[in-house]
Amino acid sequence: MNDLQEQKETTLSFEKIKKDILRPMQNHKGLELWIAFLITVISVCAWAYYVQLRDGLGVTGMRDYVSWGLYIANFVFFVAVSLVGMLISSILGLLRIDWITPISRIAEIIAVAFVAVAGLVIIMDMGRPDRVVNVLIHGRFQSPILWDITVVTTYLTISLLLLILPMIPDLAICKNELKKASPLLKKLYNILSFGYINTPGQYKHLHKMIRTLMVLIVPVGLAIHTVTSWLFAATLRNGWDTTIFGPYFVAGAFVAGSAGLIVAMYFFRVSYKLKDYITDVQFDNMGKLMVAVCLVYLYFNLNEFLVPGYKMKTGDDVHLTELFAGHWAIMFWSSQLLGNVIPIMLLVTKKFRKPFPIMIISLFILAGAWIKRYVIVIPTLLHPHLPIQNVPQNFVHYYPSAIEISVTVLSFALALLIITVLSKIFPVVPICEIAEQKGIEVKIEA
Amino acid sequence: MKNAIKIIASLFLLFVFTASVVNAQKWQAPVLSKKKQNPYEASTRNISSGKKIYNINCKSCHGDATMGNMLPLQPVAPSDLGSQAFLIQTDGEIYYKVNKGNGAMPTFEKTLSDEDKWMVITYLRSFDQNKKESKKIVEVKNPEVTDVKLLLDINNENKRILANLTGVTAKGDRVALQGIELSVKVKRNFGYLDISGDDAYTNEKGEVNVQFPEDLPGDREGHVNLLVKVTDDAYYGEVIVDRIASLGIPTNPVNPLDERAMWGTRANAPIWIIFSYVGGVICIWGVIFLVLFQLIQLPKLAKNKE
Ligand code: HEC
Repeated sequence: MNDLQEQKETTLSFEKIKKDILRPMQNHKGLELWIAFLITVISVCAWAYYVQLRDGLGVTGMRDYVSWGLYIANFVFFVAVSLVGMLISSILGLLRIDWITPISRIAEIIAVAFVAVAGLVIIMDMGRPDRVVNVLIHGRFQSPILWDITVVTTYLTISLLLLILPMIPDLAICKNELKKASPLLKKLYNILSFGYINTPGQYKHLHKMIRTLMVLIVPVGLAIHTVTSWLFAATLRNGWDTTIFGPYFVAGAFVAGSAGLIVAMYFFRVSYKLKDYITDVQFDNMGKLMVAVCLVYLYFNLNEFLVPGYKMKTGDDVHLTELFAGHWAIMFWSSQLLGNVIPIMLLVTKKFRKPFPIMIISLFILAGAWIKRYVIVIPTLLHPHLPIQNVPQNFVHYYPSAIEISVTVLSFALALLIITVLSKIFPVVPICEIAEQKGIEVKIEA
Repeated sequence: MKNAIKIIASLFLLFVFTASVVNAQKWQAPVLSKKKQNPYEASTRNISSGKKIYNINCKSCHGDATMGNMLPLQPVAPSDLGSQAFLIQTDGEIYYKVNKGNGAMPTFEKTLSDEDKWMVITYLRSFDQNKKESKKIVEVKNPEVTDVKLLLDINNENKRILANLTGVTAKGDRVALQGIELSVKVKRNFGYLDISGDDAYTNEKGEVNVQFPEDLPGDREGHVNLLVKVTDDAYYGEVIVDRIASLGIPTNPVNPLDERAMWGTRANAPIWIIFSYVGGVICIWGVIFLVLFQLIQLPKLAKNKE
């Protein structure tokens, strides 16, 4: 591996790095097609949301029992994936782990896109989205909802800054190199590069800011997912009323986030032809990281299900038997096995950590992570402590309606669109950091 | 002649056949369920609590036991649950049917507790002439009366409530009504507390004497809302009196919303939680603004160096 890197050091020049990384931003037919496709999907599904807005939440499958349905499962999933930004670029960055350099920006892009959409999902789950400001006007300090709104917006802000700040030198390059960019984009590069010309003073100043934010995002990142878990754990419902929900969610988020990152890495590597930057080394190490976070998550799962399953106290018993052997068994076990246990077993072997196999495995992990959120949110709601009497039969079950599914597709498409657009206008691999790491001198003209 | 016999015979067979078919369609409880026995004894207390449960849950369709005033539902009307024809069934059979329901008859598997169901059965069984242990609760025959009055006499000293039930006979005399069950209730936060006791049937003077519980809290002045009624509306229609009496223990109720607490309004949030929230927001956003402030100084640094 070391030989490989040394080899590259000699073949890569600053000019070549610039060319390789900036090329897909200027000229990439497939990307434009993909954007057009996403916009079509979004416009079609926006109609479903319009129907929901017009007719109210009655068009969803949510009723008195299940009042948090598909949307909240999506919300938890989006928040989970977005945590990868904090894991990769901040925790590993602060530990000065160098193989993350080429993928840290992708992680940050994912973080921004997913946390932004997570916030939108909450608004889309509201029958009267115009009342969202009431949370701020009348929100109670005692309510996790207020903390959640606060922490989601804070995380979004810091993630955006952590995306932009380390990109300032690259944006200065974009400003100089991308002569054919649209005037609007040029203006954007001009503003966001903050007159950076890589003087030692600027360099020191910039890195101090970045390090501050990297430290700051650790508690905020932990808070965002812990508070999301408290939305559940602060109630007495069976399946939610547990003390480990905070760390359990954070561990789960690292799994989902890493899987999301691996999938994105693969597609950028192939579609942007970045084989020289996002190398097998990155996939191999991400695979090892994945095994580590999956093991932690597995450990939490053992605690979360084995201990209550051993006691089977009243209320929990119905919930757990439904999960283990009842209506939810297939979803539950597939998320545990396909989304956690089997990936661990596969990823300990080096050949499964090659880009293609690990991307496929990550898709399974992502699907498992989503299903897991679904079986965390819905089954609990089906067993209220105080049974609701004399309700129509359809209140006692929950099946997402076509509208809900379309709005879900909308939110996923939206997240992908944000990622795509960001990667179209910004270099997805940090040019200057790569050059620095390889000991190549960075030159930015004023 | 022979033909006539044949015709009569075949008509008879047809009749027996159809009767058996119709019979087979009647609602039958499984054999095993018949063996189940009522674990509760036929005490006056159980019978009267069964009656109350019956009045709330069953009467709307089945009418008053033995009175045959059921709701004429289609296709199968509910039976008179006090009739001898119904009561030939075992306790187990009745229990099964109440649990399962059939057609318009709802299931009470979840909506009534086992105890409640057995109480209702105990009550119904009290109409069974063939059961030795059955006690006739209403044995006394009261004269036909009009203008039924329920009077309350409350003794604050020893906390006793004396209710008196009278009516005016055809001759114009006001007479006591005997053997009628009264319900004495106190209004609490969620519904009424029944304090009638074991034996709330009027005596020969038409009286029921009830002891108000020693430890029941009232409002600041000890006021409680009393409600006394003839349990069964079937006799004289709704006969009911309510009264505010100072029989309760005076209490100084605290409004849980007045104190700072997790369940309070925003203005009454615990201080520590306001501090943590506001403090956290100020710290984190303080740093963010600091970074933003440093960010706008970045262009200046470029000039400084040159
Ligand atoms: C909504 C109206 C309704 C209510 C309320 C109701 N029932 Fe019924 N019940 C019926 C009807 C109708 C039938 C006849 C069902 C049939 O035979 O298919 C029936 C049948 C029965 C039977 C079987 C009668 C027989 O001849 O075998 C029993 C026992 C019974 N009800 C008990 C109860 C009890 C006890 C309650 C209250 C806890 C109750 N029901 C409340 C409508 C009702």
